Parts: sequence; structure tokens; C-alpha cells
Amino acid sequence: MTLADSLFENLRLELRRGCLTLAVLAQLRHEYYGYTLRKSLADRGLVIDESTLYSLLRRLESQGLLTSEWREEDKRQKRFYRLSNIGEQIFSQLLKEWHDINAAINGIL
Amino acid sequence: MELLDRYLQAVKKHLPWKGQDDILAELRANLEAQLEDKEAELGRPLTTSEAEAWLKQIGPPMQVAARYQSQQYLIGPAVFPTYWFVLRTAFLWTFAIYSIVSVVQIFSAEVPSATAVLDAVLRLPAIFMTTAAWVTLAFAGLEFVVTHYPTKWPLAPGSSSAGYSPDWSPGSLPPLEKQGVPGMKQRTFAHAAAEVIFGALLLAWLLLIPQHPAVLLGPGAAYLHVSPFALSRVWALFYWCVVALNALQLTWRCLDLWRGSWQQPPPWQQIAMKLLGIIPLLSLFTVPDHAWVLLKHPALDQARYGETLSTINQGIYRMLLFICAITVLQLLWDIGRMTQDLYRKRVAAM
Repeated sequence: MTLADSLFENLRLELRRGCLTLAVLAQLRHEYYGYTLRKSLADRGLVIDESTLYSLLRRLESQGLLTSEWREEDKRQKRFYRLSNIGEQIFSQLLKEWHDINAAINGIL
Repeated sequence: MELLDRYLQAVKKHLPWKGQDDILAELRANLEAQLEDKEAELGRPLTTSEAEAWLKQIGPPMQVAARYQSQQYLIGPAVFPTYWFVLRTAFLWTFAIYSIVSVVQIFSAEVPSATAVLDAVLRLPAIFMTTAAWVTLAFAGLEFVVTHYPTKWPLAPGSSSAGYSPDWSPGSLPPLEKQGVPGMKQRTFAHAAAEVIFGALLLAWLLLIPQHPAVLLGPGAAYLHVSPFALSRVWALFYWCVVALNALQLTWRCLDLWRGSWQQPPPWQQIAMKLLGIIPLLSLFTVPDHAWVLLKHPALDQARYGETLSTINQGIYRMLLFICAITVLQLLWDIGRMTQDLYRKRVAAM
């Protein structure tokens, strides 16, 4: 990997980091468990690897933005996530922030 | 699948203890769901190589487990600037105190030796590492307290005053520094001219000493004729080295005045003069048996003045070693400062 490729990769990861949080919060307005959430995001064009997603889910839960519960489905124990009340509030604020930033970037470009 | 169980076992070893079972159960559930999908696509169980390729794609167990760790710093960004400043200061003080202690130890020995000096120099890296270890440990402890008990620590990361005293005020900042060579004050023409004049007077005084020792020793010069002691010939060599050095320095200063470069003499000039200044000192060490002072009539005076002579020569030896050590330390200091300044200027211009 050249220096330019390495630099681009670092900046790309930085750009994605904030977007992934918003995407996950948006999806979890409906209930998902980890695997189906990842598939759902991938189907909509946002590929995220398992360990990044699962650690993000745990962090958001520890911050109080998500709630989770273990349930049996198809004879397997699965952990289902969805937005908490605070999570919905924060998501709305982040969504507005996202639109503002988008509009600003479009204005600059 | 046994391979998946082994993979999850390896991940577990690196997971944080808090919530370990919960994390592992969730990871297992999700990986088993992935595996089911893959097997449904293929219509058959995965082969060993396919399973290995799939797990390899997920990532090494330690890396997967690390993503569940909270972000940790040994010394975080809020505290690091203070840590770096304290570490540099600690190195300076350590060097200064160790140098003084070593010099005292070396010269209080019966016979100071170059081996003792070398030993002292070779012990220096270990002293620096110990200092760095203690400072780092202290600041790692501080980072731990700031991270885990932020409400009990006024300088928590994210606070506007993190890393700084909350009482700082712009009015207490130091005044503007005059631009010039760091460590060297701006020289005026009068200062430079005075240096030339006094340099010339010093040279003239030096040249008078052989014919008129009273200009050096005052009334004590009369004692030279009656004293049983005499200076060895090496002092003549030393004397002419000192004269040559002063003549060179005077010439240099005159050239600086003539060329107009007396305001900011280059730092290497000072270093070069100090380097040359070591030559007269080294010339004194060429004397055989450390006999800087001799008896005029050894056959007659050895019994009476022999011990005194030995004491005088030993004293001169210690003094010369001490002066050499100080000169070398000063030289290393100046070279270090000049190197640092050159590097800083080069990096700043990038």
C-alpha cells in the first residue's frame, strides 16, 4: 500500500465512523439482532464487519441509546436491539445535524 | 462446529472480564447465524478449508476481542503535553545532579582516574531509563485517576482546562523575546569593540609574563628565586598554547568587526574556541609522571620537600582533571544547544 493509499484509507475510516453510528441508530428504529442488522445495512449499501458492528452496538447500549433483550427465535437464543427513548431523541438531533452538514458540504462543493 | 468453538475460545481469552459471557454468547449466536446462511447457500456443510477461510475473513481472535475493549491510553492526549514537559525537565535535572555527584565522587577518591570517568558516563543511560520509568509510572497513574474518576479530578479530559492550570491568565505570559541566537545576547558595536581592546591588552599582558613574572604573581614573584620548587618545561608549552589561542581569538574578533558580523557571531565560533581551548589543557598532560612542579636541587631537597612536592603535583592533577571535565561538559552542552537550534530551524522551515 502506497503512502497515498494508506492516507486515504485512514481518512475514509474517519469519515465512515460517524456515519456508521447514524446508520445503526436509524435502522434500530425497528428491532434487529446483530446478524440481520448487518445484512440489512449491507443490502442498503453500507457494508460493516461483524466485530465493528457488535462493539458499536455494545457501546451505544452502554451509553443508554439502545435497549436489548435475549429472545429465542428459530430454536436459538438471539439478542435483539432497538432504540431507547433517549436513543430516539439523540437520533433526531443527529439526523438534523447530518442534514445541516450535508447542506453545508453541498454548498461548498 | 469444532473450529468455531475453538475460535470463540481464543476470542474469549482476550475479552474484557466485564460482560465476557454475554459478549461471547452474542458473538456465537451471530456467527452461527452466518454459518447457517452460508451452508444454506451451498446446500451442504462447509469444508474445513472453507470454514478456515471464513473465520480468517472475520479476523484474528485478539483483534476481534480488542474491539470490545474500551479505548485506553497509558498517557492520554490531555495529560501528554504535561508529561512530556516534566520528562524533559527531569532528564535535565538528573543529568545535572548526577554529573555533580560523579565529579565529587571521582575527585574525592585517592587517585582520580579516567576509568572512573568512563564508568560514570556508561552508567548514564541506566540513570536516564530509571528516571523515565518513574515519571511515566506517575503519569500513567494520573491518567488512570483522570479516566476512572473524572468528577474527582478538575483536569478531566474534555474539560476546557485539561492539561493546564485553571488559574492561568494571558497577562502573566512572558514578554516578547528579542530575536537572535538563543543563549546569546545581541551584541552592540561598543561591546564588540571593547572585546577587541581588552583582548589586545590581555595578549600584551601575557607576552610580558616571561620577562616580568611580577605582572602575574605580583610581589610573590620574588619568592620564585628562593623557592626550592621550579616549573617543569611543559608549562612553557602551555604558555605558548594560551598565547596562540588568545592571538587567534583576537584576530577572529577583529575580522568580525571588519566584516560587520559582530552582532550575531555564529554559534560554531564559540564552540570552535572551546574546542581549541582544550589543547593547552591537554598539553599539560604530556608531562611524564605528573611532575608539573620539580625540585631545583633534587639531591639536596628531596628529603625535606619531597612529600610537599608530591602533594602539590597531586593537587594540580586533580585540578586539571576537574577543569577538563567542566570544559568538556560545557562543550557538550553548547554542541547540544546548537544542534537542537539547527534542527528546530530546519523543521520549522518545512
